[in-house]
Amino acid sequence: MNRREFLGRAAKASATIAATCSFAYWLYEGAPPGPSQKGHAPVVLPDFSIPDLRGRMGIVTGRDRIQTLRRALKAIGGIEAFIKRGDRVLLKVNAAFATPPILSATTDPQLVAEVARLCFKAGASSVVVTDNPINDPASCFTLTGIAEAARLVGARVVMPTEESFKPTTVRGGALIREWPLLYDPFVGVNRVIGIAPVKDHHRSGASMTMKNWYGLLGGRRNILHQDIHNAIRELAVMVSPTLVILDGTTTMMNNGPTGGSLADLKRTNTMIVSTDQVATDAFGATLLGRTVTQLPYISKAESSGLGTADYESLNPVRESTG
Amino acid sequence: MVGQPTKRETSIGFGILLVLAGIVIGIFIKQFHYNRAIIGGVLEGDTSAILTAGLSGELLVEMAEGMVALNPPEIFGPENLSDKIDGKAELYLSAGFLRLLCQRFAEASDSNSWMEGFVYDMGTMRRAFAVYSVQRRADAEKIPGMEFAYRTENALFFVHGRYYVEVIAAVTTEEMAEAMRSFADNFIGKAEVQGGRIEELALFPREGLDQDGITLLISDAFGFDRFDNVFIANYAVENVQLMAFLSIREDPSAASELAAAYHGFLMANGGVDVKSDVEIPGAKLVKILDTFELIFSHGKFLAGVHEAQDRGPAEKLAVTLMQNLSGVGT
Repeated sequence: MNRREFLGRAAKASATIAATCSFAYWLYEGAPPGPSQKGHAPVVLPDFSIPDLRGRMGIVTGRDRIQTLRRALKAIGGIEAFIKRGDRVLLKVNAAFATPPILSATTDPQLVAEVARLCFKAGASSVVVTDNPINDPASCFTLTGIAEAARLVGARVVMPTEESFKPTTVRGGALIREWPLLYDPFVGVNRVIGIAPVKDHHRSGASMTMKNWYGLLGGRRNILHQDIHNAIRELAVMVSPTLVILDGTTTMMNNGPTGGSLADLKRTNTMIVSTDQVATDAFGATLLGRTVTQLPYISKAESSGLGTADYESLNPVRESTG
Repeated sequence: MVGQPTKRETSIGFGILLVLAGIVIGIFIKQFHYNRAIIGGVLEGDTSAILTAGLSGELLVEMAEGMVALNPPEIFGPENLSDKIDGKAELYLSAGFLRLLCQRFAEASDSNSWMEGFVYDMGTMRRAFAVYSVQRRADAEKIPGMEFAYRTENALFFVHGRYYVEVIAAVTTEEMAEAMRSFADNFIGKAEVQGGRIEELALFPREGLDQDGITLLISDAFGFDRFDNVFIANYAVENVQLMAFLSIREDPSAASELAAAYHGFLMANGGVDVKSDVEIPGAKLVKILDTFELIFSHGKFLAGVHEAQDRGPAEKLAVTLMQNLSGVGT
């Protein structure tokens, strides 16, 4: 081969490679299916926690969830420590399914009402109750009893619409990137309280306070179930709440997250209120008869500096309402 | 001057072309085996097929006779099942789920007294049994006259042919219990299905068997990713709890190969072979985590006893199981 032939062949090979790359680039779809919301300015939720009140935890046993809630709040300083006059509060409930309250697949409506009532009593100027349910939102909020309970105490239920979502990217996140976030209900809010039941979950092993933030996502979020533990970790990064409330009065021990039978439930008579969502879920695991190692998302969240899985290190206040 | 390519160059060229052809064929085949949970979200749902399977929303209304429909019938396919049952969808998808038809109904006199019927079309009775059996509630009450059916305080669950049906109520009144039973009776009377039976259920020894506790594990049984379509059965023999397992494989060589693979899996996870005099050709007894695992194959059957506390009862149960399997064609 002489020099002229070499250059000719090299030029042809280069042209072929360039054409192939151009064609591949033309076909390449950079954005994953579903979640991307081009055209909307990206948003990030602010930190709703109160620095001076971190690491507080109250665990109260008793059959009456209203009594245990009040006692647990009192144990960590009272609602007044967290909610001041004029605060605008968002309650993130679990209204995922259009199921009746007796199935405990969703946040108990009386608990929602009591938290909202206490917030107003502490001086909150507004209380918003929201979630992006799995099923039809109107049916979910109605059949779970949450809409009526919230209305009776003056809280405003905000159901998601297409316009309620803005894209968000979790800091350091690999999964939640440019993902639709139920953002509109957060506008003007300065305090966030997550309220979740304790449930078994077929994919993640458990659904408690950190998994509860899943209800703030839109799009084809079920994709996240493929890497559920990392997804829950990112959800916990996404939301830094003022407080979390984990209702273990009744625990869904099996067949979660939907359940369906009262036989799936067990009276565990425990209410947990804390500023540490990792510690709360770590304790909640015990109600399900599971260990932290069986729920890898807890350790992942702890490793990310979101809280401690060693809830005893917080010296939780333990009480009983008898 | 361009010389003729050597034989070596030609061979290398063909080799490269073959590799490229292999990649193309691989991609072509792989595209038919996508993960529905990931890709399903961007596909259009085919919700018409359930109507051609002899089941329609109108028929569901007939089944809830005397009640008032609270919403139109909803139909979900593999691509959007999670929109109804969230994280539990994986359980159904892995078992071969086809369609879900569901609707809520209330008593005419009280809209707060309502129930929801869920009809899962699983395609075959075996798959319907799989999702039924893994979700079976402990201490549930059997329903007389129905083979795979039970009820709890607020719900009723059963298999009818290819369908797995749940009827879940918001209240626990006697009237609602009757309405749920009526729904089930109507469903069985009106939903046409092909007859069928699950062969494995009759192969487990009867003595000490919890007949309602037989479960079909579709995949990953005992943490072994190659263990699919495994039936497990619980026994209580002389106050000893035991679990037998059974799986019908494609042919005898597949059964023996999988038995060997499972044995290898146990050994790789800390198991130790234990000498056994059990009279089953080729049987392996493994001690692992202070329990005993007995594995054997017989013809196309793969069987054994899982996590037994004592080897004696495990060997005894395995022999009885083997005798049952010997009585049928392999």
